[in-house]
Amino acid sequence: MGYQWNWSIFGSTVPTGETTYLAWLLSGLQVTVELSLAAWLLALALGSLVGVLRTVPNKALSGLAAAYVEIFRNTPLLVQLFSWYFVLPEILPFGLGDAFKQQLAPLTQQFLAAMLCLAFFTSARVAEQVRAGIGALPRGQKAAGLALGFTLPQTYRHVLLPMAFRLIVPPLTSEFLNIFKNSAVCSTIGLLELAAQGRQLVDYTAQPYESFIAVTLFYLLINVIVMALMRIVEARTRVPGYLGGK
Amino acid sequence: MISIQNVSKHYGAFQVLTDCSTEVNKGEVIVVCGPSGSGKSTLIKCVNGLEPFQSGSITVDGISVGDPKTNLPKLRSRVGMVFQHFELFPHMSITDNLSIAQIKVLGRGKDEATDKGLKLLDRVGLKAHADKFPGQLSGGQQQRVAIARALAMDPICMLFDEPTSALDPEMINEVLDVMVELAQEGMTMMCVTHEMGFARKVANRIVFMDKGQIVEDDDKDSFFGNPRSERARQFLAKILTH
Repeated sequence: MGYQWNWSIFGSTVPTGETTYLAWLLSGLQVTVELSLAAWLLALALGSLVGVLRTVPNKALSGLAAAYVEIFRNTPLLVQLFSWYFVLPEILPFGLGDAFKQQLAPLTQQFLAAMLCLAFFTSARVAEQVRAGIGALPRGQKAAGLALGFTLPQTYRHVLLPMAFRLIVPPLTSEFLNIFKNSAVCSTIGLLELAAQGRQLVDYTAQPYESFIAVTLFYLLINVIVMALMRIVEARTRVPGYLGGK
Repeated sequence: MISIQNVSKHYGAFQVLTDCSTEVNKGEVIVVCGPSGSGKSTLIKCVNGLEPFQSGSITVDGISVGDPKTNLPKLRSRVGMVFQHFELFPHMSITDNLSIAQIKVLGRGKDEATDKGLKLLDRVGLKAHADKFPGQLSGGQQQRVAIARALAMDPICMLFDEPTSALDPEMINEVLDVMVELAQEGMTMMCVTHEMGFARKVANRIVFMDKGQIVEDDDKDSFFGNPRSERARQFLAKILTH
């Protein structure tokens, strides 16, 4: 094949001289992790709220929540990203769009748009899991909560959600993994996250195999850590005598 | 205590309850029986507003259940309910199951609520299981905890919705014993059940339902001795044969 493997490029200095190529990758890794974690926390909060609303008796609220899910789940992530970054600042009222474009540093703009995009996209998927978790509980649980005098919100808080979340730890793990992988799409608006740094490395060093192998390993590493964390969460919240608990 | 007047309920075109009326006076034990699908469970769930109804009225301790202005959570906190499938909260220890509503609904302190819960747990003979979780108990034990949980709220009356139907035969008696004791202490009770032995022992009246209607509402001796309707006679013949 005639390809010249050269693993030492990661230690080499970049053309501008101030750092190494490995440091470029690591800064990309940092952006990917910060972006994905921030988006995940927001997605979890929003998704839980919307998922709960989908199950409430009020038709207007559950309809609204259903529309939210359909919009964010049924359009491509890339289209959503472009909408957040290119379209939304143009149509935001009260000068908010201009403030976004003029007062925020370009990097902040990219990070914010990417974070909101990933958060909303993922929240729709989290909402579906939360709804499924609530739906999987015996119907009598809600009745039992209400019969004790709990209000509907208290019934959700103390009776339904603690079990629903336990049931959906495995699918939530997979959404948590997805958000890191999906974050690579954000390189398309110029955000220098891990995938973008990998491509930059190729451009500068002409060593595509090493660059992308390194990028792949970093993503793998993130996901192995996430899976380990979620396994701990699952073990810690296991209910004795129930669903694989002792 | 509980007054049900001309209650009707339908799901779309399907009539579940038709013009049901009955009373449960203070200290009385009423057993509601009838074939499956006759509307017994629906009727008892209407009493604490878990099921809405379209016409008629139900009052509990003088408070109208169907009135949109009624504070239903408050009313429900005064009416104990026991379900067919126990419905303990699986993620909480038995102690927490017994105390959470006392704390969150009645505003009792944690120590007071725990003490009260443990006392009642002792009463249903399960003190040793306080730190276990519902999934670690048998069905009969779970149902006794569920009764204790309802009693912990100091209810003015108790509703039982087929409390022994999901139990193994061996466990039915331990639950019925608790219910008999409760009845003998003067608790006002409305029980949907097929346990005719229980009915004979403690019921003041039997309400027999069929196809959403109250066919008979009689004291127990006339009901068992000489049921007035053909339908009740058939029903009794079937369940009392063995």
